[in-house]
Amino acid sequence: MLEHQLIQSTGFRNFGPVGAREGFAIRIRIPNYHGTRLSQLDGFDVTVDGVFYDHEINRFGIRDEVYTMAEMREEITARWGLTEWGEILVDKPGGLEPGVHKIEVVARIRYSYFPPDVHIFPMHAERFGTICIA
Amino acid sequence: MAPSPAMQEQDMPGSFKYGVSTYSYVDDYGSVMTLEDAFDHIADTGATGIEILGEGQIEGYPNPSSQFLDRWFGLLDKYKLEPTNMCSWVDMRITLQRNLTVEEGAAELERDLRLAHQLGFKFLRPKFGVLSHDLIPEPQWEAYAERNLDLAHKLGVVICPEIHAPTPIKHEVVDGYINFIERTGTKNFGLMIDTGIFQDRPLTHWGSHQINDEARKHMEFLNGIKVPPEHFLDVAQYVVFIQAKFHDIDENLEDQNIPWQPVISAIKRSGYSGYLSSEYEGWRAPWRSIDQVRRQHVLLRKLEREYDEGKFA
Repeated sequence: MLEHQLIQSTGFRNFGPVGAREGFAIRIRIPNYHGTRLSQLDGFDVTVDGVFYDHEINRFGIRDEVYTMAEMREEITARWGLTEWGEILVDKPGGLEPGVHKIEVVARIRYSYFPPDVHIFPMHAERFGTICIA
Repeated sequence: MAPSPAMQEQDMPGSFKYGVSTYSYVDDYGSVMTLEDAFDHIADTGATGIEILGEGQIEGYPNPSSQFLDRWFGLLDKYKLEPTNMCSWVDMRITLQRNLTVEEGAAELERDLRLAHQLGFKFLRPKFGVLSHDLIPEPQWEAYAERNLDLAHKLGVVICPEIHAPTPIKHEVVDGYINFIERTGTKNFGLMIDTGIFQDRPLTHWGSHQINDEARKHMEFLNGIKVPPEHFLDVAQYVVFIQAKFHDIDENLEDQNIPWQPVISAIKRSGYSGYLSSEYEGWRAPWRSIDQVRRQHVLLRKLEREYDEGKFA
C-alpha cells in the first residue's frame, strides 16, 4: 500500500546509467481523491534543496509509460487509478547525491467542476526524502 | 421471527436510511485502508448503505474485471450493505485545448450509468463542469442528461447532480435542474443535497488542506454559506439523496460546523425517507475519519429519535 502523504519514501531515486545518471525520480500517490484521466493533470513543479524544476519540463511515468507534459495534456484514454503510484522524472545530469534532501512538489490537478480561473488546483507537499544509491 | 426493533424503526414511514460514502476515508484509502476495511468500518456503524467514488473504489475503472465484480458482490453480501450512490465526473475540460462535445459528454454519462447499474447502485451523481464562481454548470449538461433518461429508466438508476457549497438552494442552478425535471416529467433525475450548504461556522481544515488566510480569501465558502435549513422544504419533493457532509464532531458529539438540529428538523418535516450518507471532509490525519463517521452516526440517529419523540420540532 501507499504512504499516507503525497510524496512517497520509496522510489526517490536516480535514473540513467550508473556513473552517468540523467536525473532523479520522485514517487507520488495521486494528488486527488479519485482516479483521473492523465489529461486532467497539468504537471508537477519540483524543488529539491532549493533548486526549482519546472512542470513544463518534468515528465511523468506510470506503469510502463513515460509522458512529456505535452503528451500528458492530450492523453484522454490512459488513467491513473486511486491506489496506483506514479513518478515525476526530473532531468539533472549526474543525479542527486546519496543522502537526505528537501523535496517540494506542487501537483497541478485540473477540476472541470471548479471555476475556470482556479480550475488548475495546486496541491503542495513537502518532506525530507533519502536517495540511497548514487 | 419477530422483526428486530432496528428493523421496525427502518420500516417506519418518514424514517431515514443511514449510509457512508467512502469519500469519508480519502487519503486513508489505499494507504492505511483497503476496500474490505472500508466495508467493515461502514457496516460497524450500523449503516445499511455504501456510497462510492466510481473512479476510486472500482479497480480497473471504467472496465472492472470479473474478479473485481466477484469481490464486490462478495463484500456486499458479507457485510450486508446495499450500494446507494456512485459518484462520477464529466470532464468538461477534457484537455487544456478543448471541451467535450455533446456526444462525448453523453457517452461519459452513459458509461457511468451502465457501470453503476452493473454494481447494483440506484443513484448516480455526475459532477458537471462549471463556468462561474457560483458553479453554473456548462449548458450541455441538459443534453447529456436528456439523451440518457431512457437508459436510466431502463436501468432503474436516478441521476442526481449535487447541490454543493457555494451554491445555495435558492439559486438558478437548482431552478435549472427543477425546470428540467418538470419539462421532461422524468423520475430518473433528481437533486442531491450536500449538507455542507448549511455550514454556519468556519472550517479549520478542508480535507488534507489546512485553511490559511489566502485560501479563505479565494474560497469564502469555507467560512460557511449558511443556507437556512427551512429552504430544504422548498425543494424536498425533488431531493432523492442526501450527502451528510461534515468536518469535525467533538467528543461531546457537538458538530463544530453544521447545525444538525434545525437541519434534521427540516428534513424530517419534509417527509424525506431516503439516505443520509456520511461524507466526512475534515482533517485528513490517518484514521481520524473512521471515528468521526461513527460519531456522526450516533449524533444523527439521536437527533432523529429525539425528533420522533417530540423533543424538538
